[in-house]
Amino acid sequence: MMSYFTHRDEKRRQVALEAVSSTVVDGSGPEGPAGPEDALAGPARSLRADAIRRLKKNKLAVAGLIWIIIIILIAITADLWVPRWLGDPVAIDSTTAAERMLLSPSTEHPFGTDKLGRDVASRVIYGARVSLMVGVLAVAIAVILGLIMGALAAYYGGLWDAIIMRTADVFFAFPYILFAIVLIALLGPGFQNVFIAIGVLGWPSIARVFRSSILSVKENEYVDAARAMGASTRRILIRHIMPNAVAPIIVYATMSVGGAILTEAALSFLGMGVQPPDPSWGNMLNDAQSFMLTAPWMMIYPGVAILTTVLAFVLLGDGLRDALDVKLKE
Amino acid sequence: MIKYIVRRILQMIPVFIGVTIILFILRTPGVVGGDPVRMITGERAISETLYNQIVERYGLDEPFYVQYATYLNDLVHGDLGQSYQKSRPVTEILWDKFPNTLRLAIAAIIIEMFFGILAGIISAVKRYSFWDVLVTLSTSVLVSLPVFWLGMLLQLLFGLKFKEWGLPFLPISGMSSQRHPDIVHLILPSITLASVSTAYAARIMRSQLLEVMNQDYMRTAAAKGLSRGGVIWRHGMKNAMIPVVTYFGLDLGAMMGGTVLTETVFNWPGVGFEIFHAIGQRDWPVVMGATIIIVFIVMILNLLVDISYAFLDPRIRYGRQVT
Amino acid sequence: MAPLLEVDDLHMHFFTRDGVVKACDGVSFTLEAGRTLGVVGESGSGKSVTAMTIMRLIPEPPGKVVSGDIRFKGESILAMGEKEQRKLRGDRIAMIFQDPMTSLNPVYRVGQQIAEPLRLHKGMTRKESWAAAVELLDRVGIPQAEERARNYPHEFSGGMRQRAMIAMALACGPDILIADEPTTALDVTIQAQILELMQEIQQRTESAIIMITHDLGVVADMADHIMVMYAGKPVEYGPSDEVFYNPLHPYTWGLLESLPRHDVDDKGALCPINGQPPSLINLPPGCAFNPRCAYARPECLEAIPPLVEIENGHSSACLFAGDIDFICQFENRVKRGDAGTGAGE
Repeated sequence: MMSYFTHRDEKRRQVALEAVSSTVVDGSGPEGPAGPEDALAGPARSLRADAIRRLKKNKLAVAGLIWIIIIILIAITADLWVPRWLGDPVAIDSTTAAERMLLSPSTEHPFGTDKLGRDVASRVIYGARVSLMVGVLAVAIAVILGLIMGALAAYYGGLWDAIIMRTADVFFAFPYILFAIVLIALLGPGFQNVFIAIGVLGWPSIARVFRSSILSVKENEYVDAARAMGASTRRILIRHIMPNAVAPIIVYATMSVGGAILTEAALSFLGMGVQPPDPSWGNMLNDAQSFMLTAPWMMIYPGVAILTTVLAFVLLGDGLRDALDVKLKE
Repeated sequence: MIKYIVRRILQMIPVFIGVTIILFILRTPGVVGGDPVRMITGERAISETLYNQIVERYGLDEPFYVQYATYLNDLVHGDLGQSYQKSRPVTEILWDKFPNTLRLAIAAIIIEMFFGILAGIISAVKRYSFWDVLVTLSTSVLVSLPVFWLGMLLQLLFGLKFKEWGLPFLPISGMSSQRHPDIVHLILPSITLASVSTAYAARIMRSQLLEVMNQDYMRTAAAKGLSRGGVIWRHGMKNAMIPVVTYFGLDLGAMMGGTVLTETVFNWPGVGFEIFHAIGQRDWPVVMGATIIIVFIVMILNLLVDISYAFLDPRIRYGRQVT
Repeated sequence: MAPLLEVDDLHMHFFTRDGVVKACDGVSFTLEAGRTLGVVGESGSGKSVTAMTIMRLIPEPPGKVVSGDIRFKGESILAMGEKEQRKLRGDRIAMIFQDPMTSLNPVYRVGQQIAEPLRLHKGMTRKESWAAAVELLDRVGIPQAEERARNYPHEFSGGMRQRAMIAMALACGPDILIADEPTTALDVTIQAQILELMQEIQQRTESAIIMITHDLGVVADMADHIMVMYAGKPVEYGPSDEVFYNPLHPYTWGLLESLPRHDVDDKGALCPINGQPPSLINLPPGCAFNPRCAYARPECLEAIPPLVEIENGHSSACLFAGDIDFICQFENRVKRGDAGTGAGE
């Protein structure tokens, strides 16, 4: 199907994507693929078991997963303990505010306080909530839209394919951050618009990946073999095409969560995302700009939070990629 | 070859039109919600006369397709409209600021090319060594790093802290000043802008070179008596570089968009900075105009990259003519 | 006078995570100018590894020459430094590889690639080497050599590419040409042409050829001597007539039998050798061929049989060499010393 980006572009993008998501240490690859008998017998089952085993071996991916779980737990339980132990992220106690401003880290305030006397650690934790939610919601939107569009394009082909892929090309023509900024500029700032915007920007990539994996699986030999065995189309779809088509999506989605978190941070940093006084790692960094020298902790902790969280998703995505033996190629 | 170029240009056109449609839709309320006049004036109260004047002046009461047609017509003639806030044509404003962004982007690309290629080569040639692990780990980290935070960290260390410690320090704001020559002002912003891309570039260089090193023709070259370095340099690199070069072309385009964050952090008066402030001032013509220009540049760059790819790879340049 | 090439009990092993792979285990032969040695065996038999070891193209970790020597014109190659070895490579000893499609660099013109060894070893200028390259292309039978030299590899057909590879190998007029499965990736008709070309060149230049193949038919005409390899070891070695008409090892016999024959009316099935070659990490005890050998006896499991000379330069690594009555599958007759067991083409 003719796309603005020719096969070669695709290859180049795949090369870039591949290179970016290549294993951190290219060690031994995963064991050989399951034989054709396995594919016919129960691809979903054997894939999952194999994959989980391989994933467990990748220490970095496991570390990433653990870190993500920790952050999720902290974020979910935040209301229970954070305001009591660390201080309210938003409210300002005007009576004591002046003496509590810009305190450096101590036992009482492990990450220090900010320009309005708020506990930075508390704000970082609540900011985690924002980031995780944006990440998950945005990617969910992108995945749902992308799966639908990709499936439509792959299944019906022809005109539908052309329209959908061309639209995707138009999206690709915009530099990502710029598009996000312009979109938000028009939708207006705020948490909700942020994840909608990021989600809407994300569907073309997912659609493309999904479509190409459906197409490549469709042509694969074992589908012919299954058909020769007399399997119905639906059975083929579910047992053979889906598991293989879904794997790259899982990998891509995981890494996209990291990307979404970065984008949200950037938007909030520019004042276009989560609005003060609600904490977001991005807008905390914005606040920190004026106090870089006098209160560097305002800047360090939110930044480290972003870095470690995104890194965790990237490493997990890398690990999934190897475990599922996804080549992300056409 | 010429056919190829023409075909690509023709393919570009519908996409560009699609882009203009999207931008037009976005800036035209009704789709996105809100009163078109409010988009211009903001929330302040205005008289009815002024309201009507605005409607009249910007043709806001005409049907969409007429507005779009006017818009396209203006575009083709190079007219991006007038800035709401500065009463200057948008094109003039952008023309002023564009060279600054260009300077920054080019400096960043140079850094990226040099360090990315170098790191990638070393990493591939000395696979599994300490260096390789370092490179692959640090590329993962760089990719996860918020660019603007990196900028701030650099500002803190090399600008503020160095100054505090009495060391020679780097400027952290603006393009020029009394204290430092202009080129020194480029240092921190360009490193920031280049950082993430360098990581990608190193990864791509590494993976391309690794793939190439497995190829049979490398073995043939060795069998001819070339030294290991000779084999890698003369036979390996030429093949491995093709996707890398095209990556740089694409990246230059991507940078055009990414400058917004870096320019804001460093107060660098470029196009990105301008877009950001225009948004704050609701100066939509500037925002739209700058975006259109950037998208157009990116598309031209993509086209050039494609052409150069065909040029560099003889298999495409000369097609298949097996006899 | 020292022979052109002398390989003396060469042992080359790979040390991997999973164990030691004895890819080349005790290979010895000599090669004289103008002669051809055919090295025959299945994939994994160690024939390519032996050739690569002679060229010193095996990366030293994980490979290592454990013992033995390789002498070129009396001088030990293994004792030479890297630089000197490189001087030999491409200049005195040249190699052509199996797949011409992938063995040529796609981004350089064919002429450039042929000219490269000339510039490297003979110090020719770009102009000189280019002219020489065109001439070489012509000599290997490529029409319109002048234009063709300017082409890129993808513009050549498979047969032409292999001719170009030969031209490249011959550029410096090497004393030895090692050809690793040069015709395997080509059509049958082209195969014959390439082999003919090689023979013609050999006659003209008096260079020695080591022809590596899994196809006995290929070496039938060309080889003066044949070395049959199995699981890294030579199992039979001798003048080619001897080996063909009087095989002394069951494996050789199996190879001969498995050739499709057109002189037999019988519409029976082909007789392959059953089973697979062993993994070089987990070799069976005793003779490596015994699991697949139709004539195996208990003694075969006891120890690895050495390569022993049986008669006039003809050696075998079978304990019962010369004593076995090989049974011909086709006609159920006992075949021994029977002219007419000639291999198919």
